Amino acid sequence: MGTNFLTRYRHIAPLAVFRIAFGAVLFYSTLRFISKGWVYDFFIKPKFHFPFFGFEWLQPLNGAYMYALYILMAIAALFICIGLFYRVAACIFLLCFGFAELIDKTYYLNHYYLVTILSVLLILVPANRYFSVDVLRKPSLEVTRIPSWMIDIFKLQLCIIYFFAGLSKLTADWLLQAMPLGIWLPAKSDIPVIGPLLSQHWAAYFFSWAGALFDLSVPFLLLNKRTRPVGYLLVLIFHTLTAILFQIGMFPYIMISATLIFFSEDFHLRIVNKIKSLFINRQESTSYDIFLPAQTRIDRFVMLLLACHFLIQLLMPVRFLLYPGKLLWTEEGYRFSWRVMLMEKSGAAFFYVKDPSSGKKFEVNSSNFLTPYQERMMETQPDMMLQYAHILHREYERQGMDDPEITVQSYVSLNGSGSRLYIDSTINLANQKESWFGHKSWILPFVDKRK
Amino acid sequence: MTIILISCSKSNTGSTPPPNNGGTDETLVNIGTNIIVPSYQQLSTNAATLDAAVSAFNTNPTLTTLADAQNAFKSAYKSWAAVSEFEFGPATDLFLTTHFTNAFPTDTVTIINNINGASYAIDGLGNYAAQGFPAIDYLLFAYGNDAALARFSTNANASGAKQYLATLTSSLKTKSAAVLNKWSASGGNYLDKFNKATGVDAGSSLSLLVNALLLDFDVNLQNYKIGIPIGLYGPSVLPKSPTKVEGYYSGLSSQLLIAQVQACQNIYLGGSGSGLDDKVAATNAQKGEGTLNNAMKSQWATLITKMQALPEPLSAGVENESPAINDAFTEVRKMTVMLKVDMSSALGVKISFQDDDGD
Repeated sequence: MGTNFLTRYRHIAPLAVFRIAFGAVLFYSTLRFISKGWVYDFFIKPKFHFPFFGFEWLQPLNGAYMYALYILMAIAALFICIGLFYRVAACIFLLCFGFAELIDKTYYLNHYYLVTILSVLLILVPANRYFSVDVLRKPSLEVTRIPSWMIDIFKLQLCIIYFFAGLSKLTADWLLQAMPLGIWLPAKSDIPVIGPLLSQHWAAYFFSWAGALFDLSVPFLLLNKRTRPVGYLLVLIFHTLTAILFQIGMFPYIMISATLIFFSEDFHLRIVNKIKSLFINRQESTSYDIFLPAQTRIDRFVMLLLACHFLIQLLMPVRFLLYPGKLLWTEEGYRFSWRVMLMEKSGAAFFYVKDPSSGKKFEVNSSNFLTPYQERMMETQPDMMLQYAHILHREYERQGMDDPEITVQSYVSLNGSGSRLYIDSTINLANQKESWFGHKSWILPFVDKRK
Repeated sequence: MTIILISCSKSNTGSTPPPNNGGTDETLVNIGTNIIVPSYQQLSTNAATLDAAVSAFNTNPTLTTLADAQNAFKSAYKSWAAVSEFEFGPATDLFLTTHFTNAFPTDTVTIINNINGASYAIDGLGNYAAQGFPAIDYLLFAYGNDAALARFSTNANASGAKQYLATLTSSLKTKSAAVLNKWSASGGNYLDKFNKATGVDAGSSLSLLVNALLLDFDVNLQNYKIGIPIGLYGPSVLPKSPTKVEGYYSGLSSQLLIAQVQACQNIYLGGSGSGLDDKVAATNAQKGEGTLNNAMKSQWATLITKMQALPEPLSAGVENESPAINDAFTEVRKMTVMLKVDMSSALGVKISFQDDDGD
């Protein structure tokens, strides 16, 4: 078994460094989330939420408890970073983070999905058994050699992300129309130095093609030892550029820190020694190897779990093929697929409530129900429109109206297409149901007039 | 496809490039200097004239002085229609907002209580709908000139009415002057800040301007000034409500609508200088068979025609279910979609922007 490339033993240092770097970024970004006032804006202020399908029973905690949840999340992230009560901390982090993510689709981000996945993977590996507070606390925990798969799963996950992000850019919009960069880059022409370049016609094409090429090639560049430095340099350039050009938050920093895991164990050992030398003068390096004891049954179970996970990872991004119509327009199969920065989409939706008994119809003031942010996200995403229609149905029934009909007049512009009617305005959305993978027939098809 | 490419490159070399000359934005400079500041100047002047006319009326309430005050009110109210689009920066800081200045229907109960000696703070929590233009509209016009004159001369609490009216016009005068001062180069010089905040990010002047313009157009004009009175828009099934039009007592509604649409059009076109139209034209965004810019220009023109066709007073038109009003509403709705969906996405300006962690 030891000769298998997955179970071959490697040094644990890359995993320990990954734990520290990722934990630190999570800690920082959780504090940032709290300090920006988003706990209030996103969870406490809204009267209604848009939970993910199957999680409609989730409700945000009351005011102060929601803050407590985020503080607990921050502490858990810090514990992951320093490797203290590691598994418990990782589980707590995942639970808190996952809970917050599932409450409302409005705030869905690819990088939150990434954080969720990486925290699951972290729970499965003993990243605390080297260079951690847990080891200081209980020296018997220390190991230096772990099976290779415990590191490779992170590499595989990152490769999947880049690769599918690249694949999703191979569209006419992205490559032939240079959209949406053709809209976004000229809008940034006031940036110093590179600004004037961005309004050039070729710039959007250059960045589109370069971006797609980067995403598709960087997994291979990082995997290959000889091209790794070039690959990582490109990672740095790419993510720094996106951080400058777009409002993209923590994502660049997560990727920049996570991709360090591709480097060799020597590289990571040097990092570990650098950090050690900050705290202690005398270098005491473990000169002998301690192998992680095999727990055949548990390992087999974990392997099975991972096989399922990666199978899902490969299937999720291509599930859009199950649906008719243009993916970016219907957004059926859009989330959880590493489609990043692919659309400039904006919409306007006017919801109508009709009282069937009197036949009277009126337009709803959506700002009475949703925050501006929720409203804006809802206006371009059909599943959220459906949820909103159900919210309206419920609320007006509560006010005594018998089975109100909810319709919407909705216009959306996608990647500069100009606004078109988006939803069949004759359909009573209150009667439509959400389903796992069903197609929403009431989304009007996108007709591209440019072709 | 190829055609698009060619036309794009042509325009990028031929026509106006996205205005960006050494860190300034022509459009912002023009709109700030030649539209926003003069509009506040106009409002400030007219509010001062109104305050003076009210003061003259209070000293000597006659039908003549009432007519003077009423005329001064009409001019001031119309000049409000040219600044309600700029609800950011100084206007928000100094409470010269629609909420405090133009909440209608006005709260007559509170107005009467205030006249009768209830204690109030002019910008206090419960007082927002008892002040501003709608409150003055009520006091100077309600139930005909004789009733209006009696309110300030023979009625039991005429002195209370005088005092309250004076407080209202003086508050408007003070606020308009303060906002103007904040914008002026000689005062707070917000104009300079406005000119320098280029780009499209949250907090950039373009983002503030587009969002404020859209809010004023979508919420104030479309929903409050037309949608609610015709009973289309509201929290529940409501009958038509002619009394809920803007400027109900003076019957100024239609003229105010025309003034507001003209002001919005002027912002879009940038008067005779660089406006949002130049920015939209530079993007080459399409709408239907032609360019978005042409579509928007023609829609503004259509809107003005539709507004001019509105019945006067609008409240009577609402009562009679005049088709001209529904017609106008339909065209307003088209413009809202163009502003909110087409224009904002062509310019890359985010509507109701919320900072978040990005993708």
